[in-house]
Amino acid sequence: MDNIIVSDLTKKFVKKGKRKLLRREKEDILAVDHISVKVKKGELFGLLGPNGAGKTTLVKCLATLLIPDEGTATIDGHDIITDPISVRKILGITTGGERTLYWKLSARDNLKYFASLYGLSSKDAEERIDYLLDIMDLKEKQHQRLEKYSTGMRQKVSIARAILHDPKILLLDEPTLGLDPSFSMFLRSFIKNDLNKKEGKTILLTTHYMDEADQLCDRIAFVDRGKLIVVDTSKNLKRNVSKNEALEIKCIGNIDKLENFNAHIKNKKNYTKIRILHENTEDIMDDVLKDVKERAKILSVNVTRPTLEDVFVHLTGSKLEDEHE
Amino acid sequence: MEIRHYLRAMNAENIKEWKIELTYRVDFIRGLFEPLIFVLPFILYGIAIVGGKYSENLEKLTGTGDLITYTVIGYIFMGFLETAVWGMGFALRKEQWYGTLEQVFAAPVPRWVYVMGMALHSTIHQGLIILMQSVIIYFIFGLVLDISGILPSLLIIGIMMISLYGLGILLSSLVLIFKEGWIISEILYSFIIIVTPIAYPLAVLPSILQKISMYMPTTYGITTIRHFLIGEVSTFTVFDAVLRLLVIGAAWVIFGLFIFNIIDKRVRNKGELGTY
Ligand SMILES: Nc1ncnc2c1ncn2[C@@H]1O[C@H](COP(=O)(O)OP(=O)(O)OP(=O)(O)O)[C@@H](O)[C@H]1O
Ligand SMILES: [Mg+2]
Repeated sequence: MDNIIVSDLTKKFVKKGKRKLLRREKEDILAVDHISVKVKKGELFGLLGPNGAGKTTLVKCLATLLIPDEGTATIDGHDIITDPISVRKILGITTGGERTLYWKLSARDNLKYFASLYGLSSKDAEERIDYLLDIMDLKEKQHQRLEKYSTGMRQKVSIARAILHDPKILLLDEPTLGLDPSFSMFLRSFIKNDLNKKEGKTILLTTHYMDEADQLCDRIAFVDRGKLIVVDTSKNLKRNVSKNEALEIKCIGNIDKLENFNAHIKNKKNYTKIRILHENTEDIMDDVLKDVKERAKILSVNVTRPTLEDVFVHLTGSKLEDEHE
Repeated sequence: MEIRHYLRAMNAENIKEWKIELTYRVDFIRGLFEPLIFVLPFILYGIAIVGGKYSENLEKLTGTGDLITYTVIGYIFMGFLETAVWGMGFALRKEQWYGTLEQVFAAPVPRWVYVMGMALHSTIHQGLIILMQSVIIYFIFGLVLDISGILPSLLIIGIMMISLYGLGILLSSLVLIFKEGWIISEILYSFIIIVTPIAYPLAVLPSILQKISMYMPTTYGITTIRHFLIGEVSTFTVFDAVLRLLVIGAAWVIFGLFIFNIIDKRVRNKGELGTY
């Protein structure tokens, strides 16, 4: 059974440019470009793509916060355009961004307010909030204003808010963005083990962290520039390039291109990382190293199995930024 | 079931606003006293010009010569206009600014429930301010009021509020899409203040403004309240006033909701909900 059915969904934005004499320049952005996809009941489904891929836009359309220009979607049988209230009832959502809660209110007061919006009676709300604060380990600070919380703690409150009404379906937009590793680890395990496995919730999660998608998701959709590139399990996606090996060179120096090889180059803070996929890296090793050595100081050389990110780069030609290290 | 859910949501909106407001203590206290400071100069000015409380000319025009009481009542009850223009009008903008508007709009409650929640909060908030002002001024200046007029006055306020809520709904949505929305609010606010007989009777307005005044709920509200409290006489009867308040109220609410819905659609089409 499919819980989320997206059919041919398209969302355009008009971006206002500079004013030129009397006219303002306008530019159409196809944020979501005819995407169709189905998420099964009880599935943990990942939308993976770089900045600006259209992940948030798609999530906002599903959450009825944006009206699509073309196509539609149904959430557990309810159409997002014609029946938004029913959709909102069965959805739990966290939109990305720091300030999605009231910073002047305590965690408990925030949750109490949203519990009323979701129709919980005050008795049910108190019980549910106690329970959620408990598993999120926020009991002690529940009466402190959120402005005094760390980003990670606020994100916990945000997740708690999303599941207040025990929704069947969750949309989580970049749930671990910018969090300390300990918080990320906690939330990932909570999402996978508690919400998905134990409670059987259908979860659509967006991320631009490869390893997050790899670890958590039953299936992954690659999105890039509004388009859906491919949908499959992490295993199958990797099989795509499995006959290859990945040659990874870390070096110091300014390299943005290797002439003779199809290399994926990332400039990090302290070093540059070069990855090349090849069926047999031994064959190219000498030439590559020679080329790099001329321009940079090599720190390390490794041959590994291809990662999900290699698959992404291979399929889209785009890179994913800010991956977790 | 649904209705109870909505009522609870409205009340939660009200309580949440109180909690947030009370975290800004200094602002909150300033907000309580500021209106009082606006009223005082008028009272003192009046006393200085008329040389006391009584004005013969006012008596000729309105049937009551007590200038101070006349003006004070006008000013105090016009405070409810603030509810609509600033309280309700900026409620959604405030959420936008906090960053919470999208989360709030993602909840399974129709938009009018938020709007009514905002109305509830601003009315209670303004009601408290007005009550405080009335008590203080009553004791300082020893106003002479017909106590039996208080209850009917409250009823009139309730009916007048319908129109003001309509205005609040309209402004709350306009302010979402116009970055300079406060200018629209300011202009409308000032305009309504001018064409409402607050400190002066209608008769002294230019005739074109007098005509416009007849479409303003505040004209009927203030005049009728003064009728009950100090016996102002006007060109319309209480029955007329109530009838017109109801008609204007219905019209303003329908217009407000109409524009609100158009803007809500536009905002969700263009993706302007979360941006400030
Ligand atoms: N309200 C808006 N108005 C105009 N353009 C928008 C709006 N929202 C998003 N966009 C544009 O649409 C495109 C997709 O943005 P979106 O936020 O959906 O991407 P994303 O995949 O969530 O990226 P990120 O990783 O940065 O969160 C971007 O080019 C963005 O600039
Ligand atoms: Mg995003």
